[in-house]
Amino acid sequence: MSSRDVVFESKEVTLLEILDRVLDKGVVISGDLVISVAEVDLVYIGLKALISSVETMERLRGAPFYGPMQEPN
Amino acid sequence: MESEKELLYLYCVVDQAPDLKEGRDWFDKPFFVQHQGLYAVVSRVSGSTFDEENLKKNLGDLEWVKIHVITHEQVIEDVMERACVVPFKFATLFKSEDSLKSMLAERAGMLKETLRRLQGHEEWGVKIYCDMSRLRAWLAQNAEILKIDSEIGSAAPGRSFILRKKKEARLDTFTTAKLNECGQASFDRLKTLSARTRINKLLPEEVTERKEDMILNAAFLIDKNKVKTFIETVGQLKAQQESNGLSFDCTGPWPPFNFCDFSEGTN
Repeated sequence: MSSRDVVFESKEVTLLEILDRVLDKGVVISGDLVISVAEVDLVYIGLKALISSVETMERLRGAPFYGPMQEPN
Repeated sequence: MESEKELLYLYCVVDQAPDLKEGRDWFDKPFFVQHQGLYAVVSRVSGSTFDEENLKKNLGDLEWVKIHVITHEQVIEDVMERACVVPFKFATLFKSEDSLKSMLAERAGMLKETLRRLQGHEEWGVKIYCDMSRLRAWLAQNAEILKIDSEIGSAAPGRSFILRKKKEARLDTFTTAKLNECGQASFDRLKTLSARTRINKLLPEEVTERKEDMILNAAFLIDKNKVKTFIETVGQLKAQQESNGLSFDCTGPWPPFNFCDFSEGTN
């Protein structure tokens, strides 16, 4: 890593990042085959309480900004 | 009883037999159901947790939601290491293997098309935040504002009050213009490196738990060969915009949650 002059920042990605995707995005299908999960949206009402429990996930989530910073040409 | 029935919980669909790891905390070991060249990664779950009535109840329990959402993400990330995935929304449940296969058959065309489109790409997220007081302090050095400042210095109290109001109004205008300019310029630059983009809703401070305001929440679908350049570019933007009070949060690679929408065209 050091030989490549790259600084990898270990980012703490908040649970929010995951919740925002898993609950809100992704393929949604409907019909008799599946159980409706429209109620998932309701969860957002309680998001604040959830997030404020200060749950962050320690993960290597990219954000490898290359340094030293360079101005583009 | 209805609630004792087993259901199938769907995480994602891939186009090759996935190499599946042990089950993550809250679900049984995932396995796949194959149909028409598509592989659905699923776990068996109990109706006593996931049938309509119980699911509704559990969705009110944030701790429950948190644990299960993280597991959902982890299972998909495990699969994603080896294959291109189409991730499904949390709690997509099927009554039986047959009903799952019917869904695969019905949507085979769209699923295959989406997989083809996503092949060789990664989703990355970029959020831009702005420290408003810092940006305003910087903009207050603007010649027009400095001129108002000097007028305030020599004005009578009534006039001074009006001038202060005017100064705040001008600063508001400059701030909005600057944010639009920086946000748009940053987004446009990253867009040139992306196959597809999606701008999402800004999240409020209570949710982000940051003092700065979120000014851009975007997802980018990037060719794997361009990821390095993309990250470098975010780094350059970060360096350029720092003096404006802007900070960048870049995360990835994510399962392509933002780029699997069948019904809705994105950007």
